[in-house]
Amino acid sequence: MKILKEHARKYWLDILLAMVTVVVMAGSTLWQPKLLQNVITAILQNQSHKITTLGIYLIVIAVIGLLAGILNTILSAKVAQSMSADIRETVFRKIETFSFGNIEKFQAGNLVVRLTNDVNQIQNLIMTALQSLLRVPILFVGAFILAINTIHQLWWIILVLVLLVVGISAATFGKMGRHFGLMQGLIDRVNELAKENLVGVRVVKSFNQEKNEEKRFNEVSDQLNEQNIFVGTLFSVLIPAFTLVGNLAVVTAIYFVGDLAKSDPGSVAAIASFVNYLMQVMFAIIIGGMMMTFSARAMVSLQRIREVLDTQPEITYPEVPEQELDGSVSFENVSFSYEGENTPTLKDINFKADAGEMIGIVGATGSGKSTLAQLIPRLFDPQTGVVKVGGVDLKQVNEKSLRKAVAFVLQRAILFSGTIGDNLKQGKKDATEHDMNRASRIAQAAEFIDRLPERYEASVEERSANFSGGQKQRLSITRGVIGQPKILIMDDSTSALDAHSEKLVQEALNHELKGTTTFIIAEKIASVLHADRILVMDDGQLVGEGTHAQLVKSNRIYQEIYATQKGKEAI
Amino acid sequence: MREIGKAIKFFYHYMKRYKIGFTVTILAIIASTYFQVKAPVYMGRAITELANYVVGLSRGVSDKGSFMQAIWMLLLFYVLTVVGMFISNIVVTYISGNSTNRMRRGLFGKLQRMTIKFFDSHQDGDILSRFTSDLDNISNALNQALGEILMNIAMMIGIIIMMFHENVALAWVTVASTPIAVLIAIVLISKTRKYVDLQQDEVGKLNGYINEQISGQKVVITNGLQGEAIKGFLPHNEKVRKATFKGQVYSGMLFPVMNGLSLVNTAIVIFFGGWLALNGDMARTTALGLVVVFVQYSQQFYQPISQISSLYSMFQVAITGARRLNETFDEPDEINPKAGKQLSGLKQGVALKHVHFGYQQDNEILHDVSMNVEKGRMVALVGPTGSGKTTIMNLLNRFYDVDKGAVTFDGVDVRDIDLKSLREHVGIVLQDSVIFSGTIRDNISFGKPEATDEEIYAAAKQANIHDFIMGLEKGYKTQVSDENSVFSTGQKQLISIARTILTNPTLLILDEATSNVDTVTEAKIQKAMDNVIQGRTSFVIAHRLKTILSADKIVVLKDGKVIEQGSHEQLLEEKGFYSELYHSQFVFE
Repeated sequence: MKILKEHARKYWLDILLAMVTVVVMAGSTLWQPKLLQNVITAILQNQSHKITTLGIYLIVIAVIGLLAGILNTILSAKVAQSMSADIRETVFRKIETFSFGNIEKFQAGNLVVRLTNDVNQIQNLIMTALQSLLRVPILFVGAFILAINTIHQLWWIILVLVLLVVGISAATFGKMGRHFGLMQGLIDRVNELAKENLVGVRVVKSFNQEKNEEKRFNEVSDQLNEQNIFVGTLFSVLIPAFTLVGNLAVVTAIYFVGDLAKSDPGSVAAIASFVNYLMQVMFAIIIGGMMMTFSARAMVSLQRIREVLDTQPEITYPEVPEQELDGSVSFENVSFSYEGENTPTLKDINFKADAGEMIGIVGATGSGKSTLAQLIPRLFDPQTGVVKVGGVDLKQVNEKSLRKAVAFVLQRAILFSGTIGDNLKQGKKDATEHDMNRASRIAQAAEFIDRLPERYEASVEERSANFSGGQKQRLSITRGVIGQPKILIMDDSTSALDAHSEKLVQEALNHELKGTTTFIIAEKIASVLHADRILVMDDGQLVGEGTHAQLVKSNRIYQEIYATQKGKEAI
Repeated sequence: MREIGKAIKFFYHYMKRYKIGFTVTILAIIASTYFQVKAPVYMGRAITELANYVVGLSRGVSDKGSFMQAIWMLLLFYVLTVVGMFISNIVVTYISGNSTNRMRRGLFGKLQRMTIKFFDSHQDGDILSRFTSDLDNISNALNQALGEILMNIAMMIGIIIMMFHENVALAWVTVASTPIAVLIAIVLISKTRKYVDLQQDEVGKLNGYINEQISGQKVVITNGLQGEAIKGFLPHNEKVRKATFKGQVYSGMLFPVMNGLSLVNTAIVIFFGGWLALNGDMARTTALGLVVVFVQYSQQFYQPISQISSLYSMFQVAITGARRLNETFDEPDEINPKAGKQLSGLKQGVALKHVHFGYQQDNEILHDVSMNVEKGRMVALVGPTGSGKTTIMNLLNRFYDVDKGAVTFDGVDVRDIDLKSLREHVGIVLQDSVIFSGTIRDNISFGKPEATDEEIYAAAKQANIHDFIMGLEKGYKTQVSDENSVFSTGQKQLISIARTILTNPTLLILDEATSNVDTVTEAKIQKAMDNVIQGRTSFVIAHRLKTILSADKIVVLKDGKVIEQGSHEQLLEEKGFYSELYHSQFVFE
């Protein structure tokens, strides 16, 4: 709710007006039966002069109600979409302050859903709230009071009606909510089965399992159908039940007016408006109940957005002047564990890399080599120990200086839609064509870029579907080297390249980026053979350090890895 | 218009079996409508009689008999209305639920029969949305709209008949504003459609941007691009803000406008009714009853107009959904030869004879490819990406058919073999392993659901995954799914190898995975592969040198042609492409 309050401030006037128009609308709806009663009284007493005045009143009030309704819709729409756009912006800005840890905790896909679906839910909530949230209680209370006022002897009919409607709503809406939950679960299951049959269509066909899969799917589909029919049946009972209750109230009211007529002839004229008010009381309860059921969903969305906004970025950067960092890196007694994990991923790591060195990092999956690399651009902070770049503790460096000094090429090559040039410029804002040529030659991307007629203007489609895995990785490396960083980290970023291209990339790095400290993280020893120094990781510890020749001789872990990979890699 | 015709045919196909149900529904609706529109007459009569009674009281007459009679009639009619409503609702629920279920089952069944070509040329998301949004839209329309539309139309007709029956002048006054209301509804609906389409476009673009940026947030962070990301977001958000406004205004307008018009119309009816009562030539008490009745009619009359217009958009999307489902149903099925040959094991071998093939007509991928494997031997397919290795695999299992030439089993063209029998004899291990939702046992016994525990354990042991599974808390009963499994990439491969071992195929096609896994798993996969290849006739798309070296024959493909074939030694002696590859990439030493 706090989010709504904060974002509503800007639009208080529109919100106020929207509320006023709702009140006007509800008022005109409530006033009409009263005037109807007056008309009927006038007919009974044969006062024809009153009819014209009353008629004009009636029409003017109805038109005002209509206009108020139109104005209300415009205002509600304005407030709803403005507030939701503002909320979306706030959330997006918040996410942009997140660090790696925050993103991993939420997961990117989940954040996208919060920014799109959840914000949408909130927009609908605001719209309905402004259109009918006030209307329902006003109509309920107003009609209730007016009904009693019209024929006060029959107050108990209204009370019984309210109790019955509330009782029926409470009994069924709760049940419905549960079954909606079951239904959603089954719908998810249907999608899951359909999806895995799409992904695994070749497996299903080659194992001749079409019939069995159909059977499996049909079982779920039938269960879903059962739930569907159950909820449908509930509705089929519910609506006639409400109608019946309302109708019974009307009949009862008329019957008792028959008794009253003797002592209070005026009540005959009041029947029509009394019945009208009864109906409005009933509708107000039903609509209110439904709104509560549906707004529960929006409340969940609100909560999910709240979670994002309440998250503190794990890493903040100091406000210090920019500085030129050189390419040396040192780890001093660094230990690190991911949040929520008991065993540390890195244990007391110590090493130094001089500017211009090429360092390979090898080790089994889960040995901590990627984590180690991610501490250099300060994607995470270690719990203990200090990571220094250019001799400066990373916690004393501002973000811009650090990003300029360190380039990180991720294992999964991610490109953004736009042109190749747009993507390369992410590595260096003011990159010239000369820069791009140079970088793409290093990354062995020039070869295919030059074959594209539009070269750097060639478009990158969504999900970069128009490039192969190897091409994406080469473009991603190009983006990494274009800014001539002091430190370049390649986190298994040549995995989709064949051995030949990989070798060419490394040779080019050696020649063209002599002053750059390069870290190459790899599963394959072949990828780090030519490094100046190789770090061997095992179970979070740095267990060896040296050239390939040295490690092959002396390091047991390295020997094991080497033995399993030897002669395996070919084409 | 043609689209609507097709949609009607589609719905007719699924609903024709419910003829009795529809008859019951329509009768119930007609009855219920009759009682509903007739009820106000008795309310009017009750009030008239009551007024008469009050007037009579002043003359000393006290007779409530006719009042009570009217009340009883009113009660009876109300109850009958509700009964009719209930019957039609229930029947419609059953019809729409069951027919949607049959559509869903039919769609899934269709998916199982379609060609691989369809799946390769359509995006999964697009096919999935037929299960989600299209079927959903149809189900909503059937569930909510079908009964209501019928009821509302019946209601409107019923009310019009009743009004003209009761009082022609007042009836004309009540319906006078209908053309205006309908016109406004049409304008609002078409505007809504236009602006909601625009809105969806902009929202789609914004969502696309958000999706891409947030998914690539790690790149944004490592390159310090947060500022740029926000700069790119703002104009998209602004456009959505503008486009949403009009869409929301028009779509939100229908209800208040119809509500307001109903209010105005009722006011006019009261006004005119009052005037008629005092200046007309009927008894005042009768006129009084008429006014009350017409107030009810005026309110009831407007309900169908606004209901039908709000249901219209529901039907719109359901028709689109029906069209998309129809498209899917029109796709061709896999071709299975009539009285195809049943295979019983392999006697000589499998061969490709002068095969030409392309996924698209004018883009041939394989040019005159010939190769063969003798029974019990292993052939390794080697070549750079895009040379056509995977395509050959697609042909062996008849996922696709050759354009020219033939694929033969013991000399019989695969197109003459019963499809099921062919696939029973061919086992495939794909590069990307697939895990189905269910238990681990279900996954291993996927191709042979009737397998015993012993058989399953044996297969898992051969695939080197048994010990890992036994180490899990629930063992073989552990629930897994593609997105959420206890397996690493490498272990998924082991599961898919176990799956193939269990079915004991005559011919094995194995696409070696290239993904990097840790060294321990790597060794396990290697051993599992050795186990599965052992003693089988096999084609292996090989990436690892060790696999290549253990092949009986190596076939080198380049640009869709076989350029070299023979044993490792022979090929090295030829000093061709293979030998060059071997020397330049054999990196240790």
